[in-house]
Order: sequence, then C-alpha cells, then structure tokens
Amino acid sequence: MFYSEDKKQYSVLNRRTFLLYLLKVSFFSIVGWRLYNIQIKDSQKYKTLSKNNQIDVEIIYPLRGKIYDTNNKVLASNIKVFDVYIIPENTKNINKSLNELNQIIKINFSDRRKILELSKKVKKFQKIKVLENINWSQLEKIESNKLNIEGIFITQDYMRTYQFDNTVSHLIGYTNKPNREEVELPFISNMPNLEIGKDGIEKSFNPNLIGKSGQREIEVNSYGRVIREISRQDSQKGNDIQITIDLRIQQYALNLLKEHKAGSVVLMDINNGNILCMASTPSYNPNKIIQKPNKEYWDSILENELSPLTYRSIQGLYAPGSTFKMIVAIAGIIHGIIDTNTKHFCNGKIGLGDRLYHCWKNNGHGSMNVSDAIKESCDVFFYEISKKIGIDKISKVAEDFGLGKIYDIPLPNQKKGIVPSQDWKKKKYDESWYPGETLISAIGQGFVLTNPLQLAVMTSIIASNGKNVKPNIIKQNNEIEFEKLEKYQNAIQIIKRSMFKVVNETKGTAYNSRSVSAPFAGKTGTSQVRRITVAERESEDFRKKEVEWKKRDHALFVGYMPVENPRYAVSVVIEHGGSGASTAAPIAKEIFQFTKNLEI
Amino acid sequence: MLNKIRNLNYLLIFLVILISFIGAAGLYSAAGGSYNPWASRHLIRLALFIILAFILALINIKFIYQFAYVFFILSLLLLLSVELIGVFGKGATRWINVFGFSIQPSELIKITIILALARFYHDLKFDEIKRIKNLFFPILILFLPFALVVMQPDLGTALSIAMLGILILFASGIRIWKFVLGIFVLIFSIPILLNYLQPYQKDRIFSFLNPEADALGRGYQLIQSKIALGSGGLTGKGFLEGSQSYLQYLPEKQTDFIFTLIGEEFGFIGTMFIILLFLLLISVCFYISIKSNHIFGRILSIGVGSNLFIYVIMNISMVSGLMPVVGIPLPLVSYGGSAMLAIIISLGLVLNAELNGNLKKIHNA
Repeated sequence: MFYSEDKKQYSVLNRRTFLLYLLKVSFFSIVGWRLYNIQIKDSQKYKTLSKNNQIDVEIIYPLRGKIYDTNNKVLASNIKVFDVYIIPENTKNINKSLNELNQIIKINFSDRRKILELSKKVKKFQKIKVLENINWSQLEKIESNKLNIEGIFITQDYMRTYQFDNTVSHLIGYTNKPNREEVELPFISNMPNLEIGKDGIEKSFNPNLIGKSGQREIEVNSYGRVIREISRQDSQKGNDIQITIDLRIQQYALNLLKEHKAGSVVLMDINNGNILCMASTPSYNPNKIIQKPNKEYWDSILENELSPLTYRSIQGLYAPGSTFKMIVAIAGIIHGIIDTNTKHFCNGKIGLGDRLYHCWKNNGHGSMNVSDAIKESCDVFFYEISKKIGIDKISKVAEDFGLGKIYDIPLPNQKKGIVPSQDWKKKKYDESWYPGETLISAIGQGFVLTNPLQLAVMTSIIASNGKNVKPNIIKQNNEIEFEKLEKYQNAIQIIKRSMFKVVNETKGTAYNSRSVSAPFAGKTGTSQVRRITVAERESEDFRKKEVEWKKRDHALFVGYMPVENPRYAVSVVIEHGGSGASTAAPIAKEIFQFTKNLEI
Repeated sequence: MLNKIRNLNYLLIFLVILISFIGAAGLYSAAGGSYNPWASRHLIRLALFIILAFILALINIKFIYQFAYVFFILSLLLLLSVELIGVFGKGATRWINVFGFSIQPSELIKITIILALARFYHDLKFDEIKRIKNLFFPILILFLPFALVVMQPDLGTALSIAMLGILILFASGIRIWKFVLGIFVLIFSIPILLNYLQPYQKDRIFSFLNPEADALGRGYQLIQSKIALGSGGLTGKGFLEGSQSYLQYLPEKQTDFIFTLIGEEFGFIGTMFIILLFLLLISVCFYISIKSNHIFGRILSIGVGSNLFIYVIMNISMVSGLMPVVGIPLPLVSYGGSAMLAIIISLGLVLNAELNGNLKKIHNA
C-alpha cells in the first residue's frame, strides 16, 4: 500500500526533477543578468543618482566689504541681525509658542495665519521664518524667555547699515535685492538672494565689495533633513573701500545746507583732486530703505517734488551765472582781446540788434577793467568783450577748465551739462547761432549749464595755476601729478587777483563774507531761473521783493583757499537761494574756516 | 540516535547559518550599525529555529507522514481564524497570536501544503496519477489556502502558493497537458484576481510598469532600491557605508528590501554570493530528493527547495524591478519570524527525509 518502487515512476520523477532544476537555474541566471545590468552596466548612472539623492549644495554668502571715509571712519558696514524661526516638531503647541513670542515682538495677524498654515504643509522638522532682522535687544528678550517658547530657532544674518544715515547717502548709495535684470550680472553668479548696491559707490563697486561666495555640501536624508556637513568652502569677504570724503566736513556742510530746501556743497583738494565733501540736500536715509517694510518711506521719497534721490552735486544742472565770467575773461586775455588795462563803460545796459542787455546794477558800474568787472560782477563788461571773442573760443576755454564733461569717477548718472557753441546749436536745434546768445552765455545764462562738481573742478584748475585737476573719490596712496596748461598761466594770474578782490576788497560782491581766519578768493554767481520782465526791472526794488521760492534765483559761489598756494576749491549752489553774495558766499566762508581749523 | 546526528547534512545546516549571518550583518547595518532592534533578535530566532529543525530532523519520519494532513488542516484553521478576525475584529491582518508568538499562518501553510501533497502522492499508485479524479484532491489542497490568502489580501503569498502548487504537481509527474491547462486557467483568472486587489496593490503593479512616471509617489520605492543596487557597483560602498540606507531613501530596508542594502554595501560580488548560496541550498534539496527512495521524501524535498526558490526569485525580481512589489521577504535574510520559522523547519524536514532516504516503506520505519 505504501510502496512506491515503480521504476517507471522514478524515471519520470527524475526527469521532472531535472527539468525543474534547469528551470530554477535559468531563473537564477535571469536574476543574475538583471543584477549585472543594474550593478555593473548602469552603475555609473545609479551612482550619480545616489549622490544627487544624498548631497545638497548650500551657498554661503560672503560678507560685503565696508566703506570708510578718508580718516578711516566707517560709513557702511554690516550688523548682525537675527531671524527667528519655529520648528514644528520641537513644540507641542505651535500656537502657544507664537503667543509667547507675540508678547515680546508683535507678530501681525496675517503673518501668524501664514505661519500656522505653513506648519501644516511643510515637514515637521523644517523651520518656518517667523521674524526677520530682529536686533540685539529684541534677541535678548527672546533668549531670556527661551524656556517658555518651545520650538524656536534663531539664525544669524547680516544687514547692511549706514552709520551716518543720510550724510553720505547719495555718494554711497544703498543695497537691495537684485531685480530681474540684475540677477543676470556676472558678479551675482550663484547668489540670487544677494543684496547688491543699487546706487553710488555701492553700485559702482559691486564686484569689489561683494567678495566670493563659499559653499557647503551637506548630506540630506530622504526627508530633507540635514545629516552632516561633507565639505565647506568658506566665503571670502568683499574688499573694503576707502573714499576721499572727510566725514567731518561733509557733516558740517550738510548742516549748513539744512536751512535751505535744496543745494550742494563740493570741496576739493586741489593738489590731488580728492573730493573731500560733496553734500547734496535734500537726501534720503538708506537705512530706512533697507529695513523692511519700507513702502511708506519709498512713497514719501517718490512723492517729494524736490526729489531727494537726485544727487545735485553731479546730477543737478544749473546756469553758472557770474561764476562763468572767469572763463570768458580768460578767453579774452589769451586771445589778446583784453589786457589788464582794457576798459569798458557800464551804464547798466547795452543794446544789440533790437534788444537791450541789462547789467544786474540798474544804473551801471561806470568804467571797468577786467579786474573790477570780476570783482563787482559787471555784466556789461562781459557783454562787450564776448562780442569780440565769439562763443566758440569761450566754449573751448570752458572745456579746458573742466566744464561740459563727465568725469572718470565711479559715480553713476553724472549729468554732463552744456557748453554751447555754434556747432552744438546746429546739431542740437539745427539753427544758427545768434550774436545775442553769446552775450547771454558770457554771463553764464542761456544755454550754459553746469553741475556743482564741474564748478569745483573749474575753480581747482584756476586755483592751481592751470593744472589739469581731475576729481577723485576713491582714496589712492600714490601721489598724483596733473599736467599744467601752460597757455593759461598769464591769464590765470590776472583772474586770481580779481577773485581775491571779490572777497577781500570793498565793493567786492562777496566782501561781506571775507574771512580773517581763513582768507579766501572766489566769485559769486546768481543765475536767473526765469526772464525778468521790463515792468519788474523798472520797479526799483524787484530784487528785494519777496518772490515765490520757485521763482527765486539760484545762488552760487566758487572759491579757493588759502589765497597764496591754494589747497582747497569749493563750489556752493543753493537752489533759489536769492543771490550768490547773500546766500552762497557765507556758506563757502564757513566751509573754508571749518576746513582750515581741521588742519591744525 | 548518535548515528543520525552524525549523518545529518551539515552542508545544508552550514548554508542556513551562513545565509542567516549575512542577514544579521545586513540588519546590523540597516539599524545604523547596531544589533538592536533587528540583528540580535534575528540571531536569537536563528538559534531557536535551528534547535527546532534538529528536533524535526531527528524524530521518526512516520510521525511526520502520519500527521501530514493534520498539520495541513491545523494551519488551514489558523489561516481561517486570521480571516475571521479580519472580518469580525479590528480590520484586516495577517498575524495571529499563538502561545504569545505572533505568527503569520500564510507562511506556515506553504510547508503543510508541501507535506500534504507529499503524502498524497506517496499514497497514490503511479498509474492512478493519470486519472482526472486524482487531480481533485491536490487542487483542493492548493485552492483553499490560496483563496483565503487572496481574501486577506496578500497578493505575493497567494502568488507564491500558486507557483508552489504548479512546481510540485509538475514534479510529481502529472501529465504535461493537464499542467498546461492549469496554467491557462490561472492566467484567465488574473482579471478576476485583479478585482480583489486593494487600490494600493494596483498602485504597486502600475508603478512597476513605469516607475519613473511618478518618482516621488508610487514608483519611489522601486527607483530608490534600484539606485541602492546600482550605486553599489562591483564591490559596493563598504559595510555600514550604504548611503541610500542610512539616509532612509530605502523603504522597508530591514524586511523586503534588505537585498538592496546588501547590494549597495557589498556590490555585485555580494549579491552574486548570496544568489549562489541560495542556489547551492536549493541544489542540496534537489540532491536529497533524487537520492530519496520514497515519494514522500522526494516530494517533500523538492517542495521545500521550490518554496525557497520562489521566495528568492520573487524577492530579488521585486527589488530589481523585474516584477511588481508584492511583499515577499528574502528567506533567512529579511527580518521577520514567520518566514524564517517556516523556512528553517521545512529544511529540518528535508534533513529528516535525507536521514530516512533509504527507507522504502515509511509505515515500517
């Protein structure tokens, strides 16, 4: 019954067993072949995938370089700020933690709702930003209550800060997140969240200030949790930059400008072209732009019709008024049209064609030589000589003295201004030049437009006896030697004597601003912003009348100090300041005295 | 008795222990270089089950033969009770508590199926195998557990029961045409089977067909396990250096996917070594089968070998993307008591069959 010894059955069984064994071996071969394909043939592909699985690259942002003034005073640096995060897995009750935090720093309702919503979506170990850029004192409060606030996590970050608020804001600019086009800039490379300079030195020196990014390779697990750091290449701090501005003078100048709505003070070192002060008002506070939310502040800036973002020293264009007379006089002297003895009689006006050209002094200056004409700022003298010189010769001299040019300094958006000539007018308006326009140009009105920096450069060239002074804003260690414009030597001596008289002799237009402690020379300028009507001119006291601010004349002064071997050149422009003598010259005096005191 | 111990097949025992130790090493690595929680318990189980296997190897084969159907019915009842707990209790489950041990009856039933079929064909005269009516009983033995496991639902185990049945029936010498017909029936029953599938099981099948389509969803498991295998290369990343594993990209790395961990850490050389060990173990079973003088021993050994084969092929095919992920462990390597118990005691039975291979009549033994 239980026998199983049939031979036939065994041979069948043996055959079947053998077939089954073959089947199994072949299945094993298939599996083996499959493993060969995965582990040997495609291994490289899977190795790459495994690496990608595993390694995340984190960019380490570099610290932005600092900006110093000429005396190593920090103008722009980075302060530590702190961001507060909450990690859902570390708190039993996220609501309670937020409540506790709210006691210290207000978290507004909509932010709070966003945080709570996010906490439900993200993985529970991922940190959610609650507060950004909190300062030390807030951090201290949070730290001291840390035990009560479960699940918070604080990271350190840096924020750009400007130590002197609006004092050097135009010059230095400010930083912000790059816009869509700026993200493509080469120096940003792999740092889309990098704050970059948007204006001034911050913008021009972005590549230097930014430094080099570092990176951190971190191993992450399948949930994105960071397991360990694999490699770290630290970032390189950006280069520091030292500018030529002397903060003390800059602050002093801004203080003087305070009582005026808008204006500019530029002070240069004639010897090396260093700009020691280039103050413009109104200005803005870059710290308020950087700190979010900034919308209110931005709006207030954009709505201000005085346009605080405009850097008047290089972007404001003004008719130079009488400060242009030195150029005309020099042109007259070098072309032999006048010498120190040439005189013209001023009776208050001259006629050309069917028009009358008035002197600012209604009843005239009487007989004037070039020295007196500059000292008393007689318009008629310059009308007379400009007729003989012609506009083209005047404009050539103006260009030699630095007008109508954009300087090679790292400040964006300089305005070039206008030095008019016959060619210029032909090109610009397709009209020929009228002789009357030469007269108007000779007193720095009409087409002539300059910015305050150009006026300071012009004055520097005069003061340095014709050295081709070039302005400079980045501090350099090497000595700079400017070439001398030989052909103007004689003329400049005459002009400098005249400019001395303007300030230091009775009847000089700036005599009231003369300084005993810091004697200086200069030239006033008052530039009309509108045509004066005949009726107004006939009313005796039209200049003294209270006119609407916008219609008042611009007040200008250019000057240099000391009188012998001058070192400093200044330009002062006060928009709608009234007159150069009354408004601009006193500011120049204060600047010179302050600067001289610093030297001691 | 001493004679029996001396004649035990120590190659088989050595292979079991070696493979289990490789499993323990993998579990040690899966725990991030720690014996806890898996490797230590894996080794304790190995020790206990080996003792159990020795006992089974040394007891009288007559006893095993006589109780073959009883064992089958007992395990079928266990399976049924799991099913009933699933229906009346706290939802679907595959486990049941027996004397404080949590076991999976679906793993044990495969062994009792082998025993029942071995006894059935042992009792059957060779001429009678041809008769259609003698197909009824084996098919019933296969169909009852198959249906119960499908209802659990445990697709992988159901499939392995079906395959095991086919292999044993083939080995026992039934006519090829019946066999072919059976396979056809099975293929046509697939659509019906699909209806029983839970959504997650369907997901697994579809993700198998195109894993890259949904790399973070359904295909994630498969892609990650292929990355683990592939990134191991020829020699592997080194013991405890499997980044896929310790960074938790590998799903179920201590159970069904342990093979990929070994593949990542020991490379192609490691995976081939394991495969060859299994092939050797299966070959030993086949050798014992051929050597055996009685049908009971023959079918038993071939059945146990085939069972092992099914586990290994399904698991490796699964983790290497040759077939859908159906939840089959790698025997002796994966963490899990029931499968290990089933495999080791079944090999204990094979040892017994070898010791009694010379017998012609079991009832006289």
